[in-house]
Amino acid sequence: MSAVWQAARAAVWRRRLQTLVIGLIVLCSSTTSMLALGLLDAATSPFDEAFGEQNGAHLVAVFDTAKVSRAELERTARHKGVEAAAGPFDQTTVTVPKGSPAVPAGPLVVAGRADPAGAVDRVEVVHGRWPAALGEIVVNQRFNVPLKPGALGSKLKLPGGKSLTVVGFATSMSQSAGAWVLPEQLAVLAPAASQMLYRFASAATEEQIRTSLATITAELPKGALSSSRSYLSIKAAFSGQSDDYLPFMMVFGVLGLAVAVLIVGNVISGAVISGFKHIGVLKALGFTPNQVVAVYLTMVCLPAVAGCVLGTTLGALLTKPVLEAAFEGIETGNATIGVSAWVPAVVSIAMPALAALAALIPALRAHRLSAARAISGGGAPRTGHGLRVQRLLGGTRLPRSLSLGLGQPFARPGRSLMTMGAIVLGVTTVTLSTGLTSTLVAFAEAGSSGEAAEFFVRAGRPGLGPTRKLSDQETERMLRSLPGTLKITAGVFVGVNLAGYQQQSLDVHFLRGDTPSLAGQIVKGRWLEGPGEVVVPPSFLSQRGLSVGDKITLTLKGKQAPVTIVGEAMEGGPRFIWSSWPTLAALAPQIPADVYQVQLKPGADAKAYSQAVRSADPGLRAEIDADKGESISTPTVVGFASVFTVLLTLVAALGVFNTVLLNTRERRRDLGMLKSIGMTPRQVTVMTMASMAFVGMAAGLLGIPLGVAGHRVLVDSVGSIVFPESAKAVWHAPQLALLALAGLAIAVLGALPPARSAARLTIAKVLHTE
Amino acid sequence: MTTENNAGEPVIRVEGLRKEYGEAAALDGVSLEIRAGESVAVMGPSGCGKSTLLNMVGGLDRPSSGTILVHGQDLGQLDETGLALFRRRHIGMIFQFFNLIDDLPALDNVALAAQLTGAPARQARSRALELLQELGVAERRDNYPATLSGGERQRVAVARALINRPTLLLADEPTGALDSSSGRQVMDLLVELNRLGHTLLIVTHDPQLATRCATRLVEFADGRVVRQSALEPTS
Repeated sequence: MSAVWQAARAAVWRRRLQTLVIGLIVLCSSTTSMLALGLLDAATSPFDEAFGEQNGAHLVAVFDTAKVSRAELERTARHKGVEAAAGPFDQTTVTVPKGSPAVPAGPLVVAGRADPAGAVDRVEVVHGRWPAALGEIVVNQRFNVPLKPGALGSKLKLPGGKSLTVVGFATSMSQSAGAWVLPEQLAVLAPAASQMLYRFASAATEEQIRTSLATITAELPKGALSSSRSYLSIKAAFSGQSDDYLPFMMVFGVLGLAVAVLIVGNVISGAVISGFKHIGVLKALGFTPNQVVAVYLTMVCLPAVAGCVLGTTLGALLTKPVLEAAFEGIETGNATIGVSAWVPAVVSIAMPALAALAALIPALRAHRLSAARAISGGGAPRTGHGLRVQRLLGGTRLPRSLSLGLGQPFARPGRSLMTMGAIVLGVTTVTLSTGLTSTLVAFAEAGSSGEAAEFFVRAGRPGLGPTRKLSDQETERMLRSLPGTLKITAGVFVGVNLAGYQQQSLDVHFLRGDTPSLAGQIVKGRWLEGPGEVVVPPSFLSQRGLSVGDKITLTLKGKQAPVTIVGEAMEGGPRFIWSSWPTLAALAPQIPADVYQVQLKPGADAKAYSQAVRSADPGLRAEIDADKGESISTPTVVGFASVFTVLLTLVAALGVFNTVLLNTRERRRDLGMLKSIGMTPRQVTVMTMASMAFVGMAAGLLGIPLGVAGHRVLVDSVGSIVFPESAKAVWHAPQLALLALAGLAIAVLGALPPARSAARLTIAKVLHTE
Repeated sequence: MTTENNAGEPVIRVEGLRKEYGEAAALDGVSLEIRAGESVAVMGPSGCGKSTLLNMVGGLDRPSSGTILVHGQDLGQLDETGLALFRRRHIGMIFQFFNLIDDLPALDNVALAAQLTGAPARQARSRALELLQELGVAERRDNYPATLSGGERQRVAVARALINRPTLLLADEPTGALDSSSGRQVMDLLVELNRLGHTLLIVTHDPQLATRCATRLVEFADGRVVRQSALEPTS
């Protein structure tokens, strides 16, 4: 066994508490980093890889075949800037009726392609095969989930009595179509449009793609381009939900790293400084300066590596459920959602390296220190502002134990600043997560009806239990007549197409009756007031480059309804929007409402109401609204905020604990001397606590504005949610005062055990060490 | 620097004092009495228990058995706080390695002991300055310990020991870390303090210090008092 290893091992054993603190800090930081980097990676890498493998289309453009010829479309592939192109492929939209195990009901874009390969958009067949004859169809499998039983080989009935056999399932990361048939088959389905698929030399931004599109269509007849969609909007949709989490995770990850750097640096530099005598002894024994540095690096790296291994493992275990939550319901196609190998590799290397780096600076100081100087404690004549502060404090009317304690942080300003930095980050985290929780609670309350019970009364569907006896209008009248009813909003979800947008089938929630509680979630514009209006979520606007006030056209079975976007809701998926009943009447007047949102008067008996609905019509089911407007992200983000708050507060408190412990050890002789001249144990405790309380108070005052600012940045960065101002203004004076005390609490919690230990020092033993 | 002592009354009375560290006995049934105004030197080989005795008398450590009465107060009956308050009022301590606080200048090191008793800062500093002047280091009052010579540091330490006007001064190898010239100065200082009425208990290896400052010599070996003899002070 080498002398370096033996000395390092002995030092680790002798400083067990310090070793434990370093290990714990690195563990917490590694876990946090794994979560943040894992999510960041999963939000981008799987899409890029799958898209690259398929040579995905940067742009899917749909042209009106009545205005442009095939030859003209083929020529567009030869334009400068077009790297590769595929098409033209004829396409049409068919409406799939309910009941198919292979395709959900609603509009389906079908393209005619002889084979799945090609220069662009190499569609990957994942089940079955590509169509080989008329009457066969392959369906785009949008979600990476097992097929429904009987889906493969099932018959897809189309309006007009035609029927196609589902012979395969395929995925297209370009989402160029919902299904594919042979070109001959498509000809039978009466195509009205052709699609071209392009890859461009420059396609990193929407601007570049728009420029390329303008070049391509410049020589085409006016109005030839029906719609287009860039891969960036698909990519945005891919990471849309994880984007909700990312800002939160990144902030906590960065906070974790910052705390780790500060604490590890502080702990390790403190360990080296307090070990000067040990360094002197090592040098006197014949250790070379490099060997001394090696001893101290080993001493730090051992717990750092152990903490990192455990933290990375814990992070890997936690990342799986986080990713499952983040990508739930996302069209992932054939992209595999998981964490790339580089994430644990980077964390495993970076965290111990960070610890080693933090140790290197003070270790190099030990490298330069002469043996004689080190063995005498490394003391140097002290001067400067810190001592002047102590002297000034000594002249105040404060009890001497208190003024001595308050002056201590100035004696070692470097270490005090690092400790303060750690507490600042702890307070910032507490402030941030408290604000975040308040915002999310306010956000959830904005979408709820308060304390009053809220029901969803659903009409039974054929084949799914008893069907309704009462008509739509009769149901609404019956519900209004029941005692306890306050408000009723009737609605139905209808799948419609968005004119001018390829592959943009939408679920529109058409509503009538009283204003729903959802109206309270409008962050821009207003709620629906009349026909020809829609309210949309932020993700709908961002993915299509639209804004409130813009006009869009909804289409259903050949009918069109031009509508104006009058409001932006706080959140929602990019394919869900709200509109009023008169708008539905323009598209499909025969569709009845099948869900009735009922708000009861305060104090009304919810159970009796439910029974009354059931007895009026057994085909109606009354369900209490369990979510009450709460976002699916809310509990997850609140949960993570709480976990990270606990972790980072723990780390900050451990840092303080370690600093006080080191200070106490370093000042053992002083403490012994002070006790020898009459300082009581209580005064020693007061002095030691005061030294950290001051740092804690100062850190509290600094950490709060940082936390408040961080909270504002964070709530403004969530991709798919726009928080109303009322949900952002969560700060109140008493709450801020309490948060200011958080720094003090962290400092006091960290300082108490070493302070008590200092008070119990046996004077004779301490002074005997001389 | 004068104190009020009732000459001849016992200041320290130690009976059957025993202190064990693990299985080793540092003190093994020590009994000793020191009267007011006496200057007693305790000598003996390293590890014989003389510093342990001093720590027990100063309340810096607790005996395994036996009693220690200082000014009639049984130290065994006092808790940590009681011992601290007792030290403030009655005992001044001088250490071989001075034990000054590095972060405070000389004046504040001395004033600190007075401030712990509740004296206002101005009054404590004024008294500290008086003492530093009497000990000849007033011009070094703003210097930090690291910039003082050994002799100067010890004189500051003596000033700190005296600031609360203790009747009993305990000195553990007070010249052990000093050169001969500084050592002589400290010896003279101790003689003068004794002349002014302070009771002195000095632990030393240095026969010269013992004969120069003490009126009685107590010799230790293996944790026991092996011999006591009166000394004629030399001038």
